[in-house]
Amino acid sequence: MMTGAFFLGWRYLRFHRFKSLVLLASVTLMMFLPTATRLLVADSATALTARAQATPLLLGERGGELELVLNALYFHAEQPPVLPYSALGDIEASGLASGIPLYTRFRSRGAPIVGTSLDYFAFRNLQLAGGRMMGLLGEAVVGANVASEQAVGPGDHLVSSPETVFDLAGVYPLKMQVVGVLARSGSPDDDAVFVDVRTAWVIQGLGHGHDDLARGDSSASVLSRNEGTITANASLKQFNEITAENIRDFHFHGGTSGFPLSAVIVVPPDDKSATLLRGRYQNHESGYQVLVPGNVLDDLLETVFTIQNYVILGLMMLSLATIAVVTLVFLLSQQLRRGEFMTLKRMGASRSFVATLIASEIGFVLLGSVALSALMSWVTRHYATEFLLSLVTL
Amino acid sequence: MRRLTLLLLLILLGACKEQVTGGSRPDDHAAKPQVLTSNYPLYYFTSEIAGDVVDVQMPEIDGDPAMWVPGAADIPQLQAADLIVINGAGYESWLAYTSLDNDRLLDTTKDIQDLLLPIENVTLHQHGPEGEHSHKGTAFTTWLDPRIAVEQARAIARGLSVLVPAQAEAFKSRLVLLEQRLVELDRSFEQVFSNLKDQPLVFSHPVYQYLQKRYGLNARSVHWEPDTEPGVKEWVDFQNLLRAHPAKLMIWEGQPSPVIIERLQDQGIQSVVFNPVANQDAAGDYFVLMSANAGRILGSKK
Repeated sequence: MMTGAFFLGWRYLRFHRFKSLVLLASVTLMMFLPTATRLLVADSATALTARAQATPLLLGERGGELELVLNALYFHAEQPPVLPYSALGDIEASGLASGIPLYTRFRSRGAPIVGTSLDYFAFRNLQLAGGRMMGLLGEAVVGANVASEQAVGPGDHLVSSPETVFDLAGVYPLKMQVVGVLARSGSPDDDAVFVDVRTAWVIQGLGHGHDDLARGDSSASVLSRNEGTITANASLKQFNEITAENIRDFHFHGGTSGFPLSAVIVVPPDDKSATLLRGRYQNHESGYQVLVPGNVLDDLLETVFTIQNYVILGLMMLSLATIAVVTLVFLLSQQLRRGEFMTLKRMGASRSFVATLIASEIGFVLLGSVALSALMSWVTRHYATEFLLSLVTL
Repeated sequence: MRRLTLLLLLILLGACKEQVTGGSRPDDHAAKPQVLTSNYPLYYFTSEIAGDVVDVQMPEIDGDPAMWVPGAADIPQLQAADLIVINGAGYESWLAYTSLDNDRLLDTTKDIQDLLLPIENVTLHQHGPEGEHSHKGTAFTTWLDPRIAVEQARAIARGLSVLVPAQAEAFKSRLVLLEQRLVELDRSFEQVFSNLKDQPLVFSHPVYQYLQKRYGLNARSVHWEPDTEPGVKEWVDFQNLLRAHPAKLMIWEGQPSPVIIERLQDQGIQSVVFNPVANQDAAGDYFVLMSANAGRILGSKK
């Protein structure tokens, strides 16, 4: 008898497809939205903080803390104020920590070019999937996503992007040779192009290569020669690719100590050194700041969680309204179906049979909604977190 | 059962993958530490101090190691080395365009900056918005002053002691022997050059700054290559130099061509080779080659 009630309930829902689908969608969304919001925020927070927790300290120019953290950890396009390369030397000289330079100003086909040192790969525990680590000026190692999306591997080339379309007199594109591909790490490193920090300076034009002006065959490019000073004219050809043949002709003008960095990852050996270093830079005359990325992100996440609570409160109100509307729909539906229930009674159906029939209809809708919202939550959790994190690098 | 087999297979595959991508080589700990040096004097000193405790190597360099440009094929060896012993003082210009782990670099002149000599007469050039600039540097053939060579050998011993602390005492005792030989070399050079102190000399290339300073030589440098006949301008400049600095002896890095020797002889100038020994030579080891240098200088005075 019970099976019959369930069967009739199911057939009723199928017969009134449109009404059933509207009900299913309303209840599903009512369940999905608060759950997904919570899951999404929680997962994103975990992913964000995991990388921050793995980065003990960051050194940057005093200014926007969040900007510095998002740029140094997720290669966010928004650039923090630069600090000179000598700041890295200061950290090393302190004896309290080692430092890893980061210069993230440039891009190649949308992927951030991260100028750094070999220490970065060991620090982030990044392994090679193919090729070798960058070893010479102009060489690049690409993340797994860059390799697959741009179809590049060892032996291929990437070109740095000009900063603006009209930047004719500014940064020249540099053709870089890809020598290695990193294994997938599930982090922003998958989406980056890594070069030596000096290669990033070459992209900026702080270092460049040209024919040796002291050589006799370069006389066409010489404007004047005076007492050990050679002045080049505008015809001097500068190289846009670093090769084995011209690498010796590349040089930097002036000392590199004043050259720019976006940030320095500071790696102290213990908590005591970290505390001493933070204290030392608290009111440092240099104008640099040492910050704990985890703390900065905690502040950000605190705001996010507060907003999340307001959003969920709003969704709960919406849910209550939805429940009221759904209840109304059911009650009105019962009124309309009085004739149907009377017929059932005349056919010998008991009150409990009718009650079971109504309950089964509600149950089917609820069960379907639970299943659908669970499926949608899983999909959201699987894809949306990665999507949200990718937004951070934009 | 099939599920269990599949699971075990997956675990095995995972373990294999980890070995390929992230695992260390099984021989890593058993193998000797790899030490690379950037020129022959450093190779010799390191080999003498290290004995057979570490595997000392020098990249195969055809020509002057100061002009070496590592190729893509050299990078794995450089990056795999546990220690790279460098001369410093700007000798390794290739460091400016190679990516290496700085912690593995042992600069043997880092702690003796006050003994280093600046290069004079550098060429300035200017182009672009930066204006005039130059590629100044420091004289880098430091080992030609045996007292500086001793300091470099001490730096190597310290570096090796950090690399293999258990062998620190052995390194120290071998360092003492090497120091004694370098002190003896210094004494022999002192004797050889004592009679040349007031005599004007010409160096074929500006690489003898430390030798000149150590033994108080009255010398000027030109920019001549042993196998390239100097042009008219070079000879005119040379004549002008001789008027102010009447040298009778010209010291060369390598054997000059007979044409150059003859033309110099016509002007009463004797040519003698003092090999800086920057690269390996089949004629012998560091001390053999340095003794040969001393012998040639001594012979030139007769």
